[in-house]
Formats: sequence, structure tokens, C-alpha cells
Amino acid sequence: MKKRPLLKKLLLSLLIPCAVLLVLEAIALGKGVRLFANADSWKLFFRAVANVTLTTFALSINLDSGRFDFSLGAVSMLSATVAGTLAQQWGIGPWPTLAIAVAVAALLGLIHGGVYVLTRIPPIIVSLGMALFYEGCAFAFTGGKGVSLVTRTDIIGFSTIGNYILVTAVAVALIVLLFDFTRFGANYRALVSGQKIAVETGIHEVGNALGCYAVSGALMGVVGFISLANTGSQQMALNFGSIGIMFTAFLPMFIGGWIGRYINKRVGIMLGAVSMALISLAFARFDTASSVQSIVSALLLVLFLIYLNNEFAILSKFRGKKEAES
Amino acid sequence: MGKQTIRERIPAFASILGLLVLIAAYYIVGAIRDANVAYGLKAVVNQSVVVALVATGAVFIYTLGSFDISLGAATGVSALLGAMAYNATGSLAVMFLVCVGVAVAIGFINSSLASVFNLPIFVTTVAMMSVLSAFMLILIGWNGAGDTIKVKARDVRPLDNIPFKVAILAAYIALCWFVFTLLPTGREAKFIGGNPVCARLSGINEKKLAVIASLISAVGIGLGAFLTIVYAPTLNKDTASSIGMDVIIAIVFGGMPVSGGPRSRILSAVVGAFSMGFLSQIMSMLNLGSGYGQMIKAAIFLLVVFIALGSQRGKLLTR
Repeated sequence: MKKRPLLKKLLLSLLIPCAVLLVLEAIALGKGVRLFANADSWKLFFRAVANVTLTTFALSINLDSGRFDFSLGAVSMLSATVAGTLAQQWGIGPWPTLAIAVAVAALLGLIHGGVYVLTRIPPIIVSLGMALFYEGCAFAFTGGKGVSLVTRTDIIGFSTIGNYILVTAVAVALIVLLFDFTRFGANYRALVSGQKIAVETGIHEVGNALGCYAVSGALMGVVGFISLANTGSQQMALNFGSIGIMFTAFLPMFIGGWIGRYINKRVGIMLGAVSMALISLAFARFDTASSVQSIVSALLLVLFLIYLNNEFAILSKFRGKKEAES
Repeated sequence: MGKQTIRERIPAFASILGLLVLIAAYYIVGAIRDANVAYGLKAVVNQSVVVALVATGAVFIYTLGSFDISLGAATGVSALLGAMAYNATGSLAVMFLVCVGVAVAIGFINSSLASVFNLPIFVTTVAMMSVLSAFMLILIGWNGAGDTIKVKARDVRPLDNIPFKVAILAAYIALCWFVFTLLPTGREAKFIGGNPVCARLSGINEKKLAVIASLISAVGIGLGAFLTIVYAPTLNKDTASSIGMDVIIAIVFGGMPVSGGPRSRILSAVVGAFSMGFLSQIMSMLNLGSGYGQMIKAAIFLLVVFIALGSQRGKLLTR
């Protein structure tokens, strides 16, 4: 197999985020705006990096195994609701509240996984049922009023650049450790690449699936808490109103997959999230209407997918032209 | 092949049995609560008919093993443009044609994009959903009449009756049943859903079928959009927003495998849509709060799917 030198791999890995930054800076220059004008811009950027990175990990952990999960938003909402309510009642600080959100979300993920392995219903269907169930739980838990922590300055004070970097770094490190350097991760990769053979060689698929759902849930617990601390409240959603959060993860996931050819896939996902966060920051700095944001994001996703799914044909054409010219 | 036992037969009829049980439960709860059952029945039909129309067409897409999450947004855009066309012309016929035409155009773009560029249809429809939802906001903004686009209720009132809606649903089901059961299109779609490699090797044109499926489904979306205006002539950005997910639930509730293939049935969508309608009405009669109602709905949904799966569970976890 042809091996690429390390420097080339690094340059290729950074190609997309750097290209995105350059294009956005050029547009910003044309508009007379600075992308990173003040502390708020940096905060918005790092919050987006944290949210998108964690959501993309949560989605891709199960999606790589063919398990689509519509319940990510509902897990985030319910765990933030429970943690926020307890923080209000017990008067606990931000870090214990974060720990509760993570624990509750991991438990919710485990329950979801439990229903899946016990019933053997296709995962996408189970996730629809669980999304509805968890949305209903959150609504019933608060009587539809949601949670408000606007008076809790300690929890709102969690929203700092330092905390966003810390949370993202710890999550990425733990995910890399778990999926690349443990037996659980090796089993996970074996099941992803060949389910039948992996099971026949004695890998415990049920345990691995339950673990994946728990980890995915825990990540959404962090996302839920970040949102709770940022806005000081948690709104309720019914009838699949919570699934929107998942759609932000598609583009970084595909970008991460492409970058993953050159470096660790998990780091690739983070770089994909950085690219997405830069785009989110640009939308905010350019005062882009939400409808235009949705259209641009969707077009970027489609264009990137068109490239990914026709890469061979596009590159062959490009190389053929080059060879003809030479 | 040996005779099937009753236990083996139950899964095949689980969805229909589920609907019958729900109808019985509806009348029992109505009698206990002394509720206006006839009025409730009207509400069930009004709620279910749009989902049933969109879901019936979507059966073609799901049979292929594809998945479309943009159906709700497509219905919303078709309805908004239909309403705008009516306000411009005052003609119900134009409104009808615009609803169906816009839906067909969206379906064509969706399927062509996926077919020409080899895109995974699910992600294409995710992107399409974002674009269409944003387009709804833009349309409402263009219209310049606040947050809504309205058609005068008295203009559509003559059409807002159960026989008219049921007739449209019946005609569309008949059309879909004919195409799905009696024409090669249905058989080929089931073949692709069941075994895409084998179907391809047998010479079946997957891309052509994907376009046909999207166009048939689009007609259902257009009809659904038309009836949405008739039932609720004040449209906003949330119009039909939940239909995309309701359709998935209805199809699965109706006993069709979400992976498509030979077990796909046209009637699944109708059975599922009406089951959901009755379930919602029962929750409403029991005065269950929105949260508890949704929890029970989710539990019943999973239970029905679990029973419908029957003995198809393998050693490996389903993916």
C-alpha cells in the first residue's frame, strides 16, 4: 500500500478547516467585518465547536454500526431538564449539575440500548419510539413549563471559553482512548467492519451496543448542559420537536470521514466540527437570516456529498486532463 | 411449506388487530366518558386523512429501502404556494393544480439529485427538508401579511367535509394499489427493497424506479397539501411540519418493514395513519396531559412493532 508522508497527511487533514477559514475571511474582508472581532465571537466559536463535536460523536458512534438515532435531541433535552431541576432544588453548582446531566443521559442511552437489544426492533424504529417517549417524559416532568435557571449566575457563568475548551478536549481524549486504545474499541471496530464474523469469533455484541448507546447518551448530556448554561433555560418540545439538533452533525460527520483517511477519524470529526463552527460564526457575524443559513448549510452538505460520492469520477477526469496537457 | 400456526399468523395481522382494538377502545372510552363520539370520529378522519395520503405515496419510496424525511416540509411548501395561487386567482382548480404541481417538482428534484449524483437518499432529503423549511419562511415573508398565509375559510368550506376527503383518499389508494399490485413497477420496487444487488443484476433500473416512486409519492403530498388548506386555511411556518415523522410512524405502525422489500403493502400506511388518529383521540378523551399522552403513544407504538416483527428476530442485532 502506498504510504503518505506524515507532513502530507497533516496538510491534507487541515485542508478543509483552513480552506473554510480562508474563504470566510475573504468574504468578511469584502463585507468589512472581522470574523473574530471580540471575546463574544471567540465564545460563540468555541461553544459551536463543543456542541457540534459532541453531537457528531454521539451520532457517528451508532451510525457507523448502522444504527440511526433520532433520540439524541430528546436525550439532551431530558437530561438537561432533570439536571436543571435538581440544580434548582438542591442548589448545587455547575460541575455537579454537569455530572448529573451526563449520568442521567448515559442512563437514558442505556435504557434506549436495552429496549433495542431486548426487542430486536430495527434501531431507527426504536429511536423514533424513544425520542417520543423521552420528549413526553421531559414535558410531564416539568408540566410543560421547562426549566429556568436565569437567576443561577454560577451555572450561567459556566459558559466560558476555557470551560468549552476543557469539556471538548476531555470528551475527545476519552472518546479516542475508548474507541482506539481499549478492548471495547477493538470489538466496536470489528463489529463495524464485519458484524457476523465478529460475533462468531466470540465478541459480545449486545454489551458493545449497550456501551455505545450509553457513551452516545453521555455526550448528549454534556451538549444539554452546555445549552442549559448558555441560555439559562430548557424549553420543552413534543412531536419530534427535538430532532433538529441531529441535523447539525451530518456535514461534520462526512467531513470527518474524509479527513479520517489521513489521521485519526475522531480527530477528523473534530476538525469537521471546527469547520462547521467557523461557518456558524460567519453566519452570526454577517447577520445572516436563519432561512438563508439553513439553505447555505444544506447546499454545502449536498455539494460535499456530491464530491464524496463521485470522487473517483471527478479525480479521474481531473487527472486525465492533466495527463493530456502534459 | 407447512401450515402456519396462529402464533405465526399473529404478526401479519398485528397492525390490523391493533387498529380494531383501538377503534373498540375509542368507543368504550367514549361511552365511559360520555364523550361526543361522532364529533371525535370526524376529528380522527380530519387528522388522519392527510397523513394517510402522504404515507400511502411514501410506501413506494420505503419499499425501495429508501427513506424520505422531507415529506412534511414538501407538503408545507406545496400548501403555501397553493394558498398563494388561490389568493392570486380565486380559483380552487388552480390551487389544486399548484399544490400537486409543486409537490411533483420537489419530488423530481429530490429523486434526480439522488439518482444523477449517486447521493444517499436519506441525507439528500435531510438537506431538502432544511431548504424547504427555510423556503416556507421566505414565502411567508414575501407574502407580507404577518406570520401567516390565509385563504378565506368560507371559500374552502364547501370542500371541508368527510365524504369529499374520504373520496380523495380512496381514489388515491386505488391508484397506488393498481400501480403497486398490478403493474411491474410495484414488483420491481419490492425486488429492489428485498435484494438490491440481485435486482440490479436482473436488469431492473433502480434510478428510474426511484424517480417514479418519488413522483407517485409527490401526488400524495400534493393532495395532502390541498386538504391541509381545506381543513386549516390559515397556514404558517409550522404547517404540516410533523407530517414527515408521522408518516414514518404510520407506515411502521401499519405493519410495513421500514427496510422495504417484499413485505411492503399499500394499506399499511392507511392502517397506521388511522391507528395514530384513534390513539390521539383516545388520549384526548382520557384527558391525559400532552407529556403522558405522548409517552403512552410511544410505548404502544413500540409494542405494536414488536408484535408485528414476530419471529423474524435473528441471532445478530438488527441494523
